[in-house]
Amino acid sequence: MVQKYRALARGIGLGRAAPGLVITLALLLGGCPAPWTRSEPQGSGPALPQPAEPAVPPAPVPPPPRPPQPPRENHLSPATRSLVTQAHTLIAHGDIDGASATLDRALRIEPSNPLLWIELGRVRLVDGNAHQAEVCARKALALASGDPAAQSQAGRVLADALRAQGRNQEAQQIESKPYMH
Amino acid sequence: MPNVARSRIRRWRIFFIVSGLAVVVLAAIATLWIVHLDRVVTREFQGRLWSIPARVYAAPLELYVGAPVSANELEQELHRLHYRRGDPGTGPGIYQRVGNAFDLQARRVRFIDELRQPERVSIHADNAAVTGMRLANGADLPVFRLDPPVIGSVFPIHGEDRLIVAPADVPPLLRSGIKLIEDRRFDEHHGVDPLGMLRATWANLRARRVVQGGSTLTQQLVKNYFLSDEQTFGRKATEAVMAMRLEARYSKEDILVAYLNEVYLGQDGARAIHGFGLGSEYYFAKPLDELEPAELALLIGLVKGPSLYDPRKHPDRALARRNLVLKELGDAHLIDAPAAKRALASPLGLRPPGGTYVPAYIDLVRRHLKRDYAEADLAAAGLSVYTSLDLKAQAAAEHALTQNLTRLDARAHLRNEHLEGAVIVVEPNSGDVVAVVGGRDVDASGFNRALDARRPIGSLVKPAVYLTALESGRYTAASLIDDAPIELKLADGSVWAPQNFERVVYGQVPLARALAESMNLATVRLGLDLGLPKVAATLEQLGLESPPTLNPSLLLGTVEMSPLEVVQVYTTLADGGFRTRLRAVRAVLDEQGRPLKSFKVQVEDVAPPAAVYELDRMLMLVPTHGTARDAAARLPRGLVIAGKTGTSSDTRDSWFAGFTGSYLAVAWVGYDDNHETGLTGAAGALPVWADTMAGLKPLSFDPVAPESVEDRWIGFNDGLETTATCSADAVMIAVPKETQLPKNPNCLTSPKTSVGDKVKEWFKSIVH
Repeated sequence: MVQKYRALARGIGLGRAAPGLVITLALLLGGCPAPWTRSEPQGSGPALPQPAEPAVPPAPVPPPPRPPQPPRENHLSPATRSLVTQAHTLIAHGDIDGASATLDRALRIEPSNPLLWIELGRVRLVDGNAHQAEVCARKALALASGDPAAQSQAGRVLADALRAQGRNQEAQQIESKPYMH
Repeated sequence: MPNVARSRIRRWRIFFIVSGLAVVVLAAIATLWIVHLDRVVTREFQGRLWSIPARVYAAPLELYVGAPVSANELEQELHRLHYRRGDPGTGPGIYQRVGNAFDLQARRVRFIDELRQPERVSIHADNAAVTGMRLANGADLPVFRLDPPVIGSVFPIHGEDRLIVAPADVPPLLRSGIKLIEDRRFDEHHGVDPLGMLRATWANLRARRVVQGGSTLTQQLVKNYFLSDEQTFGRKATEAVMAMRLEARYSKEDILVAYLNEVYLGQDGARAIHGFGLGSEYYFAKPLDELEPAELALLIGLVKGPSLYDPRKHPDRALARRNLVLKELGDAHLIDAPAAKRALASPLGLRPPGGTYVPAYIDLVRRHLKRDYAEADLAAAGLSVYTSLDLKAQAAAEHALTQNLTRLDARAHLRNEHLEGAVIVVEPNSGDVVAVVGGRDVDASGFNRALDARRPIGSLVKPAVYLTALESGRYTAASLIDDAPIELKLADGSVWAPQNFERVVYGQVPLARALAESMNLATVRLGLDLGLPKVAATLEQLGLESPPTLNPSLLLGTVEMSPLEVVQVYTTLADGGFRTRLRAVRAVLDEQGRPLKSFKVQVEDVAPPAAVYELDRMLMLVPTHGTARDAAARLPRGLVIAGKTGTSSDTRDSWFAGFTGSYLAVAWVGYDDNHETGLTGAAGALPVWADTMAGLKPLSFDPVAPESVEDRWIGFNDGLETTATCSADAVMIAVPKETQLPKNPNCLTSPKTSVGDKVKEWFKSIVH
């Protein structure tokens, strides 16, 4: 599902890696005649660095804009949302192992959804496993790149996990990150 | 004379006393011996009778809208789970299909996290995916899983596997048939059957060879316990005594059921097939109570000589033996004449290879049980072991390996030896192992190459060298390195002069290209610049278990690893620098459904996500611009993958390790005797890998860029920054943000250069 959202975002030029956007901008601003997609090496010769002999100096092309970081939003699909709800019920009943297994199940459906790693981090915290909570939160943070809402949730779990290990300074550092505000 | 008489009397007295004592001592010894045997055999019997093996389950098929399961695949899965067509309102385990709409009543099933009660569900699927799901009462059903398929049973402690059959599940024909063929007087005798022995002896004398055994079922059971083929008198006596002791202690029913679960029925590589439950699964891939009379007769006939009548090795002999048994069953009216006639005309009906019989995977399950659980906990009866095996992935990997090895064997060469191979597939996020193929004979449980074949990994080691470079901060994917000849004097005084595979030298190349095209000289120079200990440390960080030898040839992959170890190392690369411990076992539940405590270490962040992302971008160039270009033809259009080919010296080992958004797989191809194969990683292992992956319907690899890095375009050949469209050889790499890359003057100007500089540059370019 996440992949689908990403693909969608990319299609309208908002992708995180945003090659589409780069290409579009390059075409709008640049003078390179080129097809819409990156072409296969053309012609037969090896594509060696050979400055062609242009009749006129090539139009200076402004450097490409830094790949933009448009806000990206992660969502849960109906399937994973229902599993997260189930996991919450299990935690409420004190069944940590069950909750953890249910989240594993959700992660198999959406392996790179940071929201699920955030949930798993919280379960690990409840389970008293601060180190694993920290790793889950770091993973969520890595996957949440570009999604401030998810980043701040992941940062919260990470800070809590660090505090639980007595690493207050590191926790403070996380809390002072821009996405936490 | 009286003296003589007296002494004679005395001698007699001594004689009587001595012989009396001897008798008492002998009787005592005999009693002790019997007591001893009694104890030994009782312990064994008790141990077996009451130790119920753990049931092992594959992962359940997960259904949700969008799940990549077609209507036909759904129905196949229902058949595998023994769901019957019918009116699902009448009970669990029944389904109905109208077009692409399924209506089914799921069984009561224990999962890791819940005990599901029977549930009526309707599911719609088209020819690619699930399109809708509801409960019978119309309520929304966002996610639903089918029953987990049973893939075997293991005794977690001693590692034997059985499919124990409970008394109620023994088919009546098996019960009466086995007595008829092996021990007609079973219900009357007390463990040994002198009449039967006499009959056997007479028959053997007349035939002048051993045609009948004459051992009772009880004696055979004892023999199976202590597995000895010795035919000495002492052995026989021991067996007889033990058999009588068992009969004295246990009911005929207990003994018969124990016998049916214990008897030796064949050999599958290193694994002995014991018991009719496992035999049924091994030969026919069916539960015992679903066997036809002909199939039961084959198993009954096997008892007499499992290797002599092995239906795979000697089908004619096995068929004759089966028909003899069928005739006897018919003569004794245990089956009626038309049924006997039908059975006699039927083929052996052995199952095709594959299916739910997965010895290589079970092998890993056993090892992970030992690794992750306390032995005392595993001794409990009636455990359920939930594995991450995905039967569809397993089938895809088996098919990919066997097909490709057959094709590769057919190349013109004179070797008699067959190529071998191994494949492992995992989900890198969870570390779940979803498929293990240990060799081309996917049914044999012999040498498990996926776990135990340790071979030089060749260029599979290179990503560790490049990751070390990126982590050092001194290199980016665009940095140039010199692919030029190099000679090194080694510690032992010898000179090492590595070469590129194609024996050419490429000169200055960017890192991205050196890795994609697997250049040896550039990599050795890079690795030496970084330092061997650094590279070795990266390997260990990624998951290599034992420290490698610090020899320069480490940089070209002389380090030996099993496919499983390679998987562990690459998992970290596929998962953004997080190392997840591989696991085949997700959970073990006890009889009450409570989870056993496991020593689980789950995830560790071992490599900086930014450097791993930069490396992953480089590994994505291997299939588009490098050594793995042939993969595309075998993969779904547009699927983005990342990976690396590996070839050990003289092409003894052909490797490919690679990943998509859903799975990581490693394939190895080579000869067991380590002979040269003439296959590079791209020619041998890559097709196996690609066909496996194509069968898994994976998502594209689409790593999330950490905020400290960004994607850029460079020329693949010159490493100069460019735009996607300006250079024909533009490739996307990732670099730390704000990195100043030298720019391709035809495509980009750096902000610092003025127009004047630009013109100067242009003049320079035309002067050249």
